[in-house]
Amino acid sequence: MRVRGRRRKSVAFFVTLGSLLVALAIALNVGWIILNWREVALLVFGIIFFLLIIFGLVLNTTFLIREIRRNEQHDAFINAVTHELKTPLASIRLYLETLKTRDVDEAQRRDFYNIMLADSDRLLQTVEQVLRAGRAGHRRRRISKSLVNVGEMVRECLELTRVRYGLSEGNLTYSESADAHDVKIAGDADELRSAFSNLLDNAVKYSDDEVRVSVEVATVDEKRVAVKVADRGIGIPSAQRKRIFKRFYRVPGLFMARVKGTGLGLFIVHSVVQKHGGRVFAESAGLGHGSTFTIQLPRA
Amino acid sequence: MSAVLIVEDEKHLAHGLRFNLEAEGYTVDIVGAAEPALSLLLEQRKLYDAVILDVMLPGMDGFSLASNLRAAGQFVPILMLTARGQAEDVLRGFEAGADDYLPKPFELSVLTARLHALLRRREWFHKDRSDPREVDTDVSPASEAKVFSFRDITIDFESLELRSGVQTIHLTLMEADLLRYLVRHEGKVVSRSSILEDVWGLREDTDTRAIDNFIVRLRKYIENEPSQPQHLLTVRGVGYRFVSG
Repeated sequence: MRVRGRRRKSVAFFVTLGSLLVALAIALNVGWIILNWREVALLVFGIIFFLLIIFGLVLNTTFLIREIRRNEQHDAFINAVTHELKTPLASIRLYLETLKTRDVDEAQRRDFYNIMLADSDRLLQTVEQVLRAGRAGHRRRRISKSLVNVGEMVRECLELTRVRYGLSEGNLTYSESADAHDVKIAGDADELRSAFSNLLDNAVKYSDDEVRVSVEVATVDEKRVAVKVADRGIGIPSAQRKRIFKRFYRVPGLFMARVKGTGLGLFIVHSVVQKHGGRVFAESAGLGHGSTFTIQLPRA
Repeated sequence: MSAVLIVEDEKHLAHGLRFNLEAEGYTVDIVGAAEPALSLLLEQRKLYDAVILDVMLPGMDGFSLASNLRAAGQFVPILMLTARGQAEDVLRGFEAGADDYLPKPFELSVLTARLHALLRRREWFHKDRSDPREVDTDVSPASEAKVFSFRDITIDFESLELRSGVQTIHLTLMEADLLRYLVRHEGKVVSRSSILEDVWGLREDTDTRAIDNFIVRLRKYIENEPSQPQHLLTVRGVGYRFVSG
C-alpha cells in the first residue's frame, strides 16, 4: 500500500505539473496577444508554436502516467506470481515434513498424497500459464496446425474444470446447436485448449457463491463457429470490457481483490484466438450481473 | 494447552498446519479471511494464545488485520506468514504489529519453534533475555527490569503495560521489546542497525523507517511533548539514546 501511495503521489505531481505548465503557456499566449495584437504574422507563428508546446506537454504527461500505471501492473503481477508459486510449494513441503516426522495413519496419508498432488498441479498450471504468456508475446511464432473438433475439445476442458473445482453437472452446463456438431477448426490443439480452459477457469473463479456457468458451441455462419461461456458472477464494468484482454491488466477494485490472479489468462486467450484468425469479446450488463465471453473462430 | 488461531485462506496449508499443531497439543481454529478473525477476536472476545496470520488474504490483508487488532487493544502475539520475504515486507509486518515473521515456504520445525518461543516469551519477559543462561537459573522476580520507572511513568514489562500518570497503555510485544532494549542501554547511543539486529533479529542494510515509526509511537507514550523529546532522543545519523533523567 505504501508503495502504491507513493506512486499515486508521483502521478498527482506530474498531472499537476503538466496542467500548471499548460495553464502558464496559455496565459503567456493570451497575454502576448493582448499586448501585441497588431503584429499579426508574429501572432500566427506564436500561436502555432505555443499550441505545439502545449500539445507536447500533454503528450508527455500522458506517456508518463501510462508508464507509471504499467509499472504498477508489473509489480502486482510479480506479487501474484510469487504467491502462486510459493503457496503450493509451502504446502507440499509442509505435508512432506509432516509425513517424515509424524506418525500418520493410512487414510490420512492418502489424503496428504492427494493434497500434494493437487498442489503440484496448481504449481504446474502457474508455470505453464507464465510460459504460455511469454510465448504469446511473440506474434510471429508459427503455430502447428491440426484439425480440432471444437465441441469435443470444449467438453474435455469442461470435464477438467469440473474435476479441478469439484463441481457438478448442474454448475457447469454444456449445450451444442445441432449444426455445430462435428465442426472442426484448423489450429494448435494445445493452445486452443488453454484458451478454452482459461475462460472456464475465469467463469468459475469470478462466480460469487453459487457457480452457474453455461457453455455453448454454435455456428455463426458457414465460415465461423462460436464458443460462448456465460456466468452469473461479478460481471465487468462496461468501461473495462476491452482492457481486460491486455497483459497484466486486472480490473481494479474490491471485487477483484477477493480473487487471486496474475492478469495473464485473458491475454493468453486473446493472443491465441488472434493467431487463429478469430476474435474474442466480452459482454456484461455491469457489476454483479455476470458476463459472457465469446470466442469466434474460422471453420476448417 | 494453548489455543492458536490460524488466519489463512489456502485450505491445504491451513489444514496441514492444524494437523501438526494439534499433534503438538495445541487447540486450533481456522478462519479463511480477515473479517471473521476480527469478529472472533474483537467482538466475541475469544481468547487465543497466538495467531498465525497469512498476509495475502482475500479482501482485507494481514497487515491491516494486525494493525486493526493492535489499534483495538488486542495484543495477542501474532506470527505472520507470507510469500514475500523481502526486508521491506518483514518490516511492514512488524510495523503493523506482528511479533514474528516467517516467509513461505517455511520449515515446519522452524515454525513450531517460533510459535513456542512466542508463547514462552510472555513468561520470560521479566527475565533478562540478553543473558540466556539466566532464563533457567534465575527465577527471582527481583531480577533486572521487571518494572522500570522514571518521572511519572511506570513500565511493566511483564504485563506489557505502561502507566503514565492515570493513563494505562498496553504495549505490543515489539514495542515492549524495543523499549526494554533502549532502557537497558540507558544513556548510551544505540544505532538503528543494532536495534534491527538485536530486537528484531534482522541482519539487513536497508535504510528503514520502520524503527522511526516505532520511536514515534513510543514518544507518544512517554514524552510530554512528542515533538520535543526529553527522554527518547534522536542521535543524528546514528540512532537513538534513552535518558530517564
